[in-house]
Amino acid sequence: MKVHKLFQRMRFGIFALFGLIVLSTSLLCIRTVDTELSAEYAANSQSIAKTIADASVDILLNRNLATLQSLIDQFLEVQGIRYIYITDETGEFLAHTFVPGIPEAILESDPFQAEPVERSLPGMGDFLEVSSPILAGVAGTVHLGMDLDLVALKIQRAIGQQVYLISILLVVGILASIWLVNLVARPLAALLAYAVETARQPPEQRALVVANEKLLERDDEVGQLARLILYMSRTRPPSGPEALPDPGAARSAA
Amino acid sequence: MHSSCAAALLAPWARLAGAALAAGQGVSSGAASAAASGSQTPAPGTAGGEIVLGTSAAFTGPSRGLGNELYRGAMAYFREVNESGGINGRRITLKLYDDGYQPDPCVQNTLKLMLEDDVFLLFGYVGTPTVTRVLPMLKKFQEEQIYMFFPFTGAQPQREPPYGDFAFNLRASYRQETAGLVENFLATGRRRIAVFYQADAYGRSGWAGVRAALENHGETIAGEATYQRGSRFTGTMRAQVEILQRAAPDAVICVGAYAACAAFARDAIDLGLRVPIANLSFVGSENLVNLLSEGRDDPETYTQWLVNSQVVPSYEDESVPAVGEYRKLMARHNPEIPEEFLDDPYSPLPQSFVSLEGFVNAKLMCEIFRRFDGEPTRAGLEDAVFSIRDFDLGIGEQVSFGPDRRQGLQRVYYTVVEDGRFVPLTDWNALPA
Repeated sequence: MKVHKLFQRMRFGIFALFGLIVLSTSLLCIRTVDTELSAEYAANSQSIAKTIADASVDILLNRNLATLQSLIDQFLEVQGIRYIYITDETGEFLAHTFVPGIPEAILESDPFQAEPVERSLPGMGDFLEVSSPILAGVAGTVHLGMDLDLVALKIQRAIGQQVYLISILLVVGILASIWLVNLVARPLAALLAYAVETARQPPEQRALVVANEKLLERDDEVGQLARLILYMSRTRPPSGPEALPDPGAARSAA
Repeated sequence: MHSSCAAALLAPWARLAGAALAAGQGVSSGAASAAASGSQTPAPGTAGGEIVLGTSAAFTGPSRGLGNELYRGAMAYFREVNESGGINGRRITLKLYDDGYQPDPCVQNTLKLMLEDDVFLLFGYVGTPTVTRVLPMLKKFQEEQIYMFFPFTGAQPQREPPYGDFAFNLRASYRQETAGLVENFLATGRRRIAVFYQADAYGRSGWAGVRAALENHGETIAGEATYQRGSRFTGTMRAQVEILQRAAPDAVICVGAYAACAAFARDAIDLGLRVPIANLSFVGSENLVNLLSEGRDDPETYTQWLVNSQVVPSYEDESVPAVGEYRKLMARHNPEIPEEFLDDPYSPLPQSFVSLEGFVNAKLMCEIFRRFDGEPTRAGLEDAVFSIRDFDLGIGEQVSFGPDRRQGLQRVYYTVVEDGRFVPLTDWNALPA
């Protein structure tokens, strides 16, 4: 019974340790993935806005708005990009991807806004809007809306996958620890049973207690203890500590 | 057997590589072409007594009426020519692919037509968003001298640098159509003009035309609303109508395809936006009216507000020689929809503005082939086109082409619906108010 209690504490300790590792790893992972992916999406959006701005110069100077529209339509296929619009140097909308129309919030916004801005558009969702000037702003500005809901979903999915993996590792770790503890506990329990059985017998009959052969054959501390008990059961109890047998001698005696 | 197949498959690539090499060595494409003709190799797409033209168009989907009718009109003329012995003994054949009016399939189809099918030229493409995406490919393979002829779009990209040199247009442009509509509306006191347009290059092209025309008169677009390409008549356009209602327009110019424009007209009238609703030639006028009239006891409820601009004369007007010829050949050949596109059922129209446009496209195409001295070659195409000067197509307008003139027709016609048919609009003041 005491052996079980001993290992219950050990198991609890292992669970607590694994739990702490999983919790801290998950929190770190959530924070890292959230920060990194958000920054990456924002950086990608900024790059796309700049790419469109660079590609738009000649098209805008030629007043070829159909080609300009075709250009931004292609970028709309990039995941996370929900809208793109281009304003000219006066702030007039030259091309956009809104259906059924340009939202009021955007119509009323500053068309020369250079810094990223978070927008909540009714019926559309939440967006991070990034901008890039065309020809240093003298030809207009490209505005690009990144879907924050979609980004959040992507981040949640990425985090979920990592936490899922960590959870699997936790379960595997716990199962492995249980198996390893049992590996130690089982022979100890057998040794304990042997010792108890030997102790229950009167001294002259202790040598008759049948020891577990597998226990005696073990090449570890449990085996040594078993052989020591066997040795002690077959000899008279010594009267002083000097009479304690050498473990190597006990093994050869067994 | 295998090697010959492999050679056949590799031939177009090898030819492209050869052309690129020739260009890299400073050899002009003309010289390369001459060398090719010196080896008696027939020009691409002209082997076997044929001239093969490549087409990618909307044969399925919500805009399938446009691709199918344009094809049928062209085939009525090509079949007549083929049955009469072809052009210098060569039959005209079309290699067809369906793109459903979507840019990416159109690009893939064009690659196949140029590199695998090895067609002589591209003919009868449908739509701005599709054509706009294909134009850079023509520039990429410019050494091959693959030209696009008479696309069914009035957009500017194939009329202007940097891609204008790779296409020849017959129809008037959207800029001309929208300018005409705007000027006529303004002339009758309708100053607040709104635009309902497809959210893509086509819609933007029309929007830009309206904007420019209004700008010339010191006006601006009163309101605008968009719809997604591929929208169907069964869908709702109420949100778009509500946006435009807030602008209180005197007229709305629609830049879209028939299914969406019919849905818009229906919802506009239902919601009380009762102003003239103009559509460009691309819309597919007959399909528009059919959708608005089907199953209704009072079809004029919706159609009386329509004003459609056209780039060919009315197919009802048999006093126009080409129209008489068109009606006769459509009745004689009644070209069927190609079998491979029958999965998406479509009932062909006996006559339509779109098929009439396909017909005159084919007629002019054949005339260009007749201008070749000897074997047709891609290198000789431009000269053959530029030899068209004051040519009478039979539609009451002379056609001319030249290095600085790559659009044959300039005229725009305006029509309204009477008794379920489109008739010429003679009095803009008589439009319902």
